[in-house]
Amino acid sequence: MSYYLGLAQLIGIHTLLGLSAYVLMLTGQLSLGQAGFFAIGAYSAGILTVIFELPILPALLAAAVIAAFFAFIVGFPALRVKGLMLVVATIAFGEFVRLFFFNLSWRVPRGDIEVGPDSTNGFREIRYFVANGWSPWEITTFVWTFVILVMIALWWMDRSRAGAVLRAVGEDELATQSVGVNLTAVKVTAMTAGGFIAGIGGALYAHTATYVDHLTFTVLLATFAVSYPILGGLSSVFGTLVAVIFIQGVLVEGLRFLGDWRNIVFGLLIIIAMNLKPDGLFDARTTRILRRAIGLGGREKSDA
Amino acid sequence: MSITKLIAMALAILVSTFFALAHPVVAADRTVKIAAWGAKSGPLRSFGVNSEAVLKGAVKSINDSGGVKLGDGTMAKMEFTYYDSACNADQAISVARKVESQTGALIGIGPTCSGAAAAMYGIFQKKVGDKSDTGLQFPILTDTAIRPGLAKKSQWTFRNVPNEITMYDALFKWLRSKYPNAKTIYGGTETDQAHSRITFAAVIVQKAKKYGFEWVGGGIEGVTGKIIAGMKNVLNVSKSSNWLLADTNFSVQARAFKRSGADMMIISSHPFTTCGMLKEMRRQRIKPKVLVGLTSSSSAETLKGCSAAAEGIYIPTGFAPITKAAAKVAAAAEANGGAADLHSAAAWENAHIIKQVVEATGVMAKPETLKADRRKVRDGLEKLVKVDGLMGEIGRVQDEGESIKPYVFVQAQKGAWKVVHDPR
Repeated sequence: MSYYLGLAQLIGIHTLLGLSAYVLMLTGQLSLGQAGFFAIGAYSAGILTVIFELPILPALLAAAVIAAFFAFIVGFPALRVKGLMLVVATIAFGEFVRLFFFNLSWRVPRGDIEVGPDSTNGFREIRYFVANGWSPWEITTFVWTFVILVMIALWWMDRSRAGAVLRAVGEDELATQSVGVNLTAVKVTAMTAGGFIAGIGGALYAHTATYVDHLTFTVLLATFAVSYPILGGLSSVFGTLVAVIFIQGVLVEGLRFLGDWRNIVFGLLIIIAMNLKPDGLFDARTTRILRRAIGLGGREKSDA
Repeated sequence: MSITKLIAMALAILVSTFFALAHPVVAADRTVKIAAWGAKSGPLRSFGVNSEAVLKGAVKSINDSGGVKLGDGTMAKMEFTYYDSACNADQAISVARKVESQTGALIGIGPTCSGAAAAMYGIFQKKVGDKSDTGLQFPILTDTAIRPGLAKKSQWTFRNVPNEITMYDALFKWLRSKYPNAKTIYGGTETDQAHSRITFAAVIVQKAKKYGFEWVGGGIEGVTGKIIAGMKNVLNVSKSSNWLLADTNFSVQARAFKRSGADMMIISSHPFTTCGMLKEMRRQRIKPKVLVGLTSSSSAETLKGCSAAAEGIYIPTGFAPITKAAAKVAAAAEANGGAADLHSAAAWENAHIIKQVVEATGVMAKPETLKADRRKVRDGLEKLVKVDGLMGEIGRVQDEGESIKPYVFVQAQKGAWKVVHDPR
């Protein structure tokens, strides 16, 4: 059972990572810097529970705030550029963060060992959950509490004026600006919210994995972060969840039995999925079908 | 009944009795299951392929000789499943959880990468019997991840990997006597790989200093010959010339090597960048008196990738096909599509160590005894003092879960690794 619970934790954490990119993508921006915010969250929360011995909840929230702060700071200069230039700028930011942690060494004695980030050796001993007797069920519940809270918040936002503004910016910046919307404020807010969510995800990741190092937060992770909302579709927050289940649950774990063929089939299935569902696995049509199936019916807003 | 028929019946009974006595009944429904995992995809794929090939041969040899004797005297077959966890912490953790809860495996072997091992070991229970610690309670006997000091993270994790500190100490001592005129050293490492980087800065450079080799240009501040001393200064760009695992161009680094004019040059990296660097050194006609490499490069991959450029490089290794047993493993690995080297050969030893421990601790290999059996295996591994290895006796460091393995020094000569010194 602990395997499935571990998988559920991983899916939850990657959903948060995907949602952090989703928020920004609603404004039409593609950021490959989410792995950087995820890393900031992971290292900050790890430092707070391991070195400062804080309980997990305040450590996690503080880590999310720290990640959000950096997202806010990065948001101003980065969002002055658009499209591919933004992709390059955010990759640069992600690499900057990764290499910062690659060089970070902050060791403090704890009993007969030293703990804390140790440069290339990585950051070990982030064992808050297991050292405090948390069962796999409890850890999974904890992780999914945050996933559900974030999804509810984003779902609610999507149906409020804030969501409409974000999508309007994503659809047509000029038109949105012409009706008095402050583009910079909207984009920086989205970037900050994305940083906050990625920070939560990173903090949870560090504590479930018990170890992080710079190799965890490469461009590959950043690519996964944007792939989830792209593959899942931007019409709903659930698209990201569906994509994470598809990639992490089905492709990565489900195909492990294929051995050497796994990576080939992985790529092939992604291509097939994107061709069959170009607007995402959870596009507007799927949403309509599901709503009808559960008897909600009603009108649906157009696909993003 | 004719005489012929009587003789035939008597012979049949005799033959049946002989086979029944020679081969105790093998329990069809009871097997000693091993789960192994490592990098079978990504840049370090060959490590997983080699480990799997060697393990396949080891399990076959154990089963061919009758299998494993269980606690009640029945003989059980050994079987293994090899999972791809890439060189990735997430995947290593995921596989560890899977084999612990889903497969009924008695013990795990793996993973390949030290980073993945460091992460994975963290999810295991730190101290046996600590009920407040909900970490995994499943024994691991790692074959490949070599970074020093990892196994002591948990009392459930053990390793059978060479001790690089001992090996490089002996290597530089030997090189000192073989090359008395070599005075200066220079080198580099792939800095994003913890094993390469730490072994270079904390071990290799220190041991070279200990035996009188001085870094070019007046040495490095803080480097005293003591492990880790002045490690950060070694990696400073003004001192060593380094690269990354994904690098494909080494012209700048090789130029720095050439400019140094050192008598001895050190390349502390895995086969892929070792070959890149060696080829570039060859292109720039850099010919040091002595060339030293990282243990992980004493493999078939290095010779496949750059045998001409690697000519003359010295590397200490925990495996060479110089004993009958080691030669058998090398042949078995090749037959199974892999190669035996200091990493993968440990998988053979591990399978035999597991057999030894299972037989010594009375494992029952029944579904209802799985938890108790895993504990027995763990306790058995901890109690081991010495085991037979392919190159000789392997000592165990019980409180750290590590091993002390015999080693030799090999040199690349005409496309093959030749043993040039055997301190066993």
